[in-house]
Amino acid sequence: MAFQFALQRRANTSFLRSSLTFSGGLLLGLLLCVALLIQAGVPADMLFDDLVWQVFFQADGLAQTLTLSIPLILAGLSAALALRVKFWNIGIEGQLWLGAIAAMAVSIYGVGSDSYRWALMLVAAMAGGTLWIAVPLWLKERFHASELVVTLLLSNVAFQLMLHLLFGAWRDPTQSFPISPAISEPERLLKLGFGNLHTGLFASIGMVFLVMWIMERSRLGFQSRILGSNRQVAEASGIAVGTTLVVMVLLSGAMAGLAGGLLVAGTEYRLTQHLGWNMTFSGIVIAFIARFRPFWVLPVAVVLAGVYNAGATLKVFYGLTEATVLLMQGIVLLSLLWCQFIAAFSIDRRQEVSV
Amino acid sequence: MSFISFWFASIPVSALPLLLACLGLILSERSGVVNLGAEGYMAVGAMSGASVTLLTGSPWLGVGAGVLAGCCLGLLFAFSVAVLKADQILSGLAVMAIGLGLSGFIGRHWVHQPFNGMTAPDLPGLQQLPLLGGLLFKQPLLAWVSILLVIVIAWTLHRTRIGLRFTAVGEDPAAADNAGISVPGVQMLAGMLCGALCGLGGAYLSVASAHIWVDNMVAGRGWIALALVVFARWRPGRALIGALLFGAVDMLLPRLQAQGLQVPVYLMGMLPYLLTILVLVLATRSRYRDEPAALGVTYLRQDRH
Repeated sequence: MAFQFALQRRANTSFLRSSLTFSGGLLLGLLLCVALLIQAGVPADMLFDDLVWQVFFQADGLAQTLTLSIPLILAGLSAALALRVKFWNIGIEGQLWLGAIAAMAVSIYGVGSDSYRWALMLVAAMAGGTLWIAVPLWLKERFHASELVVTLLLSNVAFQLMLHLLFGAWRDPTQSFPISPAISEPERLLKLGFGNLHTGLFASIGMVFLVMWIMERSRLGFQSRILGSNRQVAEASGIAVGTTLVVMVLLSGAMAGLAGGLLVAGTEYRLTQHLGWNMTFSGIVIAFIARFRPFWVLPVAVVLAGVYNAGATLKVFYGLTEATVLLMQGIVLLSLLWCQFIAAFSIDRRQEVSV
Repeated sequence: MSFISFWFASIPVSALPLLLACLGLILSERSGVVNLGAEGYMAVGAMSGASVTLLTGSPWLGVGAGVLAGCCLGLLFAFSVAVLKADQILSGLAVMAIGLGLSGFIGRHWVHQPFNGMTAPDLPGLQQLPLLGGLLFKQPLLAWVSILLVIVIAWTLHRTRIGLRFTAVGEDPAAADNAGISVPGVQMLAGMLCGALCGLGGAYLSVASAHIWVDNMVAGRGWIALALVVFARWRPGRALIGALLFGAVDMLLPRLQAQGLQVPVYLMGMLPYLLTILVLVLATRSRYRDEPAALGVTYLRQDRH
């Protein structure tokens, strides 16, 4: 090599440096997205109007954004919980579908009485999501099967299960599309009188504070931090590694399941094929931008919900598909990952590291 | 009899795109890098293949474009993990999203337009052979290229200097570095080849079998290929066997339906995924731990000891 340099891992990154690189990465990613949209034919002077004004500052748009944010908040929490203990949950969609199926089952089979069935539906949804993540957790701990692949494959299984129900036993005969019958009036979550916004928002926000308490205040959260950074150290220092891992991972599944339950009980009022679109990746992006801090999941999820909301406008007016929103998320995530290099390493040009 | 020969003849349609992606992932993982971008590379490969075939009328140019597109995206990922030392899994997911997003974004102009893709060459006598005639001789030339690639990659990995370098970097990057092998260099090359092979797999889907591009065409094949790598124990030859087995299960359902059998379609649709999980568990349980020792580890020269 003409010149020699060595990467040095920074032992202590100053707060200023890490926050500057982070916001720099975010800004760079967003600028690239704006350039992409302009290139795709969205007029530059309409960007602010479409992407910010309409979805955050207009009553209709804001109501829709907040409604969309309900499952996104939970998906973000799900990703943050699992990633805290280095469990790669790439199957948030699957757990969400299982949650939706479980909630729908409670409604279809009329479990309990009308007055509190909505609560049973949500509990069933959490149980469904938990069950769906318990399988990969067990396979990982018992057989060392990569949870990365198993969670994802189980998402496909859950999707097939849903199609099986929608095209078979649960199909609404009065509809031409394969969707389930609507849930009855008392089973629906109350509307807040602001667009389609429903009480599920409080459930999501409540979960943010619950997870915040678990991850940042409780003993479990402290243990999970050690477990996530180094399992050997955690085991050696006598932490109940198994319990911590199981609780955190199952909670992750429960959050995703609850997202599915809220979609059925609050937004869609039925089971449809389009419930979980892209929730896994969105959840991971939200958790990453929120730096895996539960509180920050809340604003980040609302902003991403706004982007999804604006995406619907882009689709109608400029013919851009949903893939555009996915592309924009990918660009922002990669840009953040690249910029982290500046925070994580310094380049030492003077000398080769001695062996 | 005709049921079996039709079934056999349809297996490569499902098996070969998986095989190609799996070969790419084997190269990447052999050099110690977990690459979750496969789904994205396949999507841009399929989309570029279809659009260039539509533009030029030449399926081979389309396939070339698919390979190139996958390669570029693979390079983006490799730069991220090998040079900037970013997290492999998150980078892979980001590149997957970019690939899927780009294919939908650019591909919106080419979606749902049928074209004249690759067809099987005319071999009248051989195609009528019982059982295996369709499987072996009713395939586009690209099928044979894929099989050839298995041999070339297996030979390269096990018998050549560059192949040994891949393995050395994946097993012990520090030792490889001491021996004068450029770890980022090898990982960049592996990343590009992985993207290119996945892109070829995607192009196979659109140019050689479907002759059309639709959104979500890859439909999770990139992830199944990832599981197949474990089944294949990081060996190209076994990847061929695994892909054919998977293709056989995958194609059984449409054949049964064509026979007019009443089957629970969606429950049967779970089979390939459940089978893959089973295989994954069995493969990781086996006594042979063939997983590259440094798989998923970010190597930094200063961490040597």
